Amino acid sequence: MSERGLQATRGFYRNYIKKYYEEAHKAKAEKRPVAWVTSTFPIETLLAMDIVPIWPENYASVCAAKQASVELCERAEKEGFSRDLCSYSRCVLGSMFGEEKALPEGGMPKPDFLVTTTCACDTHLKWFQVASRLYKVPLFLLDVPYNISGADSLSLEKTHVDFYISQLEELFSFLEKQTGTRLDKTRLRETVALSNQTSQLWMEIQDCRKTIPCPMDARDAFSAVFFMLCVPGTRMAVDFYTTLRDEIRERARNKVGVVENEKYRLIWDNLPLWFNLKIFEYLNSLGAVVVAETFSHVWAGSLDPSKPLESLARKYLANFANASVKRKIDMILNLAEGFSVNGIILPTNWGCRMMSLGETIVRDTVYKKLGVPSLIIDVDSSDWRNYNEAQVKDRFETFFETLTRKQ
Amino acid sequence: MEVLERFRDCLSKRHDIAKGWKKRNKPVIGWTCTYTPEEIIHAAEALPVMVLGDLRGTKLADAYLPSNSCSFARSCLNAALRGDYDYLDGFVESNSCDNRGKIFDMWTHYTKIPNIYFINTPHTNTEKAHQFFYEEVVKFKEWLEKTFNISISDQALKKAIEVHNKNRLLLKKVYDLRMKDPPLISGTEALEISLSSTVTPKEEHNKLLNQLLNEIANRSNKPKKGVRLLVTGSVMDNAELIKIIEGVGGTVVADDWCTGSRYFWNLVDLDNDPLRAIARRYLDKIPSSFMYHHEERFKHVLEMAKRYDVEAAVIFVLKFCDTHMFDAPLLRDELKTLDLPVLYLEWEHSMSGIAGLKTRIEAFIEMVGGVK
Repeated sequence: MSERGLQATRGFYRNYIKKYYEEAHKAKAEKRPVAWVTSTFPIETLLAMDIVPIWPENYASVCAAKQASVELCERAEKEGFSRDLCSYSRCVLGSMFGEEKALPEGGMPKPDFLVTTTCACDTHLKWFQVASRLYKVPLFLLDVPYNISGADSLSLEKTHVDFYISQLEELFSFLEKQTGTRLDKTRLRETVALSNQTSQLWMEIQDCRKTIPCPMDARDAFSAVFFMLCVPGTRMAVDFYTTLRDEIRERARNKVGVVENEKYRLIWDNLPLWFNLKIFEYLNSLGAVVVAETFSHVWAGSLDPSKPLESLARKYLANFANASVKRKIDMILNLAEGFSVNGIILPTNWGCRMMSLGETIVRDTVYKKLGVPSLIIDVDSSDWRNYNEAQVKDRFETFFETLTRKQ
Repeated sequence: MEVLERFRDCLSKRHDIAKGWKKRNKPVIGWTCTYTPEEIIHAAEALPVMVLGDLRGTKLADAYLPSNSCSFARSCLNAALRGDYDYLDGFVESNSCDNRGKIFDMWTHYTKIPNIYFINTPHTNTEKAHQFFYEEVVKFKEWLEKTFNISISDQALKKAIEVHNKNRLLLKKVYDLRMKDPPLISGTEALEISLSSTVTPKEEHNKLLNQLLNEIANRSNKPKKGVRLLVTGSVMDNAELIKIIEGVGGTVVADDWCTGSRYFWNLVDLDNDPLRAIARRYLDKIPSSFMYHHEERFKHVLEMAKRYDVEAAVIFVLKFCDTHMFDAPLLRDELKTLDLPVLYLEWEHSMSGIAGLKTRIEAFIEMVGGVK
């Protein structure tokens, strides 16, 4: 039996994303503190202090989904920002210059301050330096050592964890100064506990996708991961994932899959094409289903509420964005085996050095160890000018032919 | 002038110099980022050499690198794959940009170079970052000692600091020659001089610099008078672009390359514990674009513009060099506060599309020269 869409994610955009921006605008009007934040920043710290986190990367994906991103990228390019920069950053920079009225969801509420980290890429820091100058608001940087050995969260170097923790302490002083409120340590532990629960539920959901046929597709995963990324330490996240997990479990039990005759089970690395999530339906039409995204697996980690700072340090420091490619390879090898995968899609995101470099090492190592082939395709997460659909579809079809011959 | 030829030779014969060094049974260590503390390598009696690219194509590296990655890193990797750097006994990389972190993987995976080491470089210079970087520098020293079975004394470190500081002071004096109009050395020569310091034993480079400073006043073939320019942007590992500028009526009198003024502008404090002083110098120097306090670099650029009395500036950003691509519009606005015309150009290390760049440079210089 097959059925594409899930009940829990029906109307996801309207019910959750749109609402998130509406509430953030309301909070801004009520003068509650608003911080802009980037991925791989320990967002739990903001949630524990009732700071409204606004995540420009998410906003860029919203603009892309609404087909508004290229126009905004062009605005940034007119200001002198290179067309080869990350399309997330160009899209958001574009939204910061010029007319606001017509922006999706009324734009992002302006930041009272900015927080970022070098954990994922230089782009985050550089982009926020521009925002800091433009809005004349302070920028806090969590300066993260690079995980060159590709260690997992438990075997990270102690000096790295200590350096991170000492900066979390500085971060709280910064946040206290910006908001005029003291950190409530009980509240921090509660937030970390909720984040842990969110994470565990999300991993349970991912685990169900090991079932053949796979009960959940990438399109739903890339929507639902919003809670892991933006609001992991909240009751709302826990509630949503509980409902979602129950539905996916039920589907797995009843063998309800995304596609009727599953021919190819795929791992999708990097970001999706936010402007064209329909590409996953196209894959389904060829009998293929994405059973795991590295993007879905990278955020999870178990957190110990009795050690909130160390838990956050370990969760974020071990992110593969901040590590030797070995870390990503380890993850893909695990996923490929655990999820009965027969192909890996490695999209090269035009503006993203960090996620694109090293793909040949991933491809070659995984093939050598498991015999699972990879397909490298040229894409862009939000700027469709860097994407040639006909060419990409062609490459998919040739790749699937190879897989068929292999089987 | 013969001595100017010698600097050029240091660059063109850099592989021979390094191989010559090895004949004494001393190691050669390659590095790519100017946040690498060369003094420690020097104190280990090893020769630190910056890994540079070349213009001989990148076919070998193209098989492993996506088309959206840094073309300087591509050229360096290609040189290593071609075997040009087979003589290296070690290679040091750091996380000073997103490309570099992953280039560590590339070199480890695809080249034959042994002993590849990674120095974790903070992006801030707070006291906590200083402590972290100091520990990294200590680890690096210990790694050199263990790998090459030597011991590095405080005495040797102090000696290395002296030699490097001397080199920096002499390079600064050479740069002073550019204040005159026309300058006593051209921009092409200035870049060849600073760049050659990255691949030549520092003692020998100091000798050459002293010779140059003694002889330069009597120079017969002085550079031509031209539009005085400041150049800034990503790493610049050859003088091809400067030659283009100076061939169409420009005279490059100031720069802010990491292989130019930022390479030698700051000294190591000799009164301190040597390792602490070295670590502090690198983290506190005029920052590269990947640093949190990048605005200090803008200040340096503006000071250079005033010190060398420039008429215009050119920002050269290597394709896919994110940190400089983000800085470029901000730096352009900063330069405009001095009423300087600014040209922003993106270029490929391979020099593909150079004809178009040349036309734009020529038009720009004509425009600036015309309004004089």
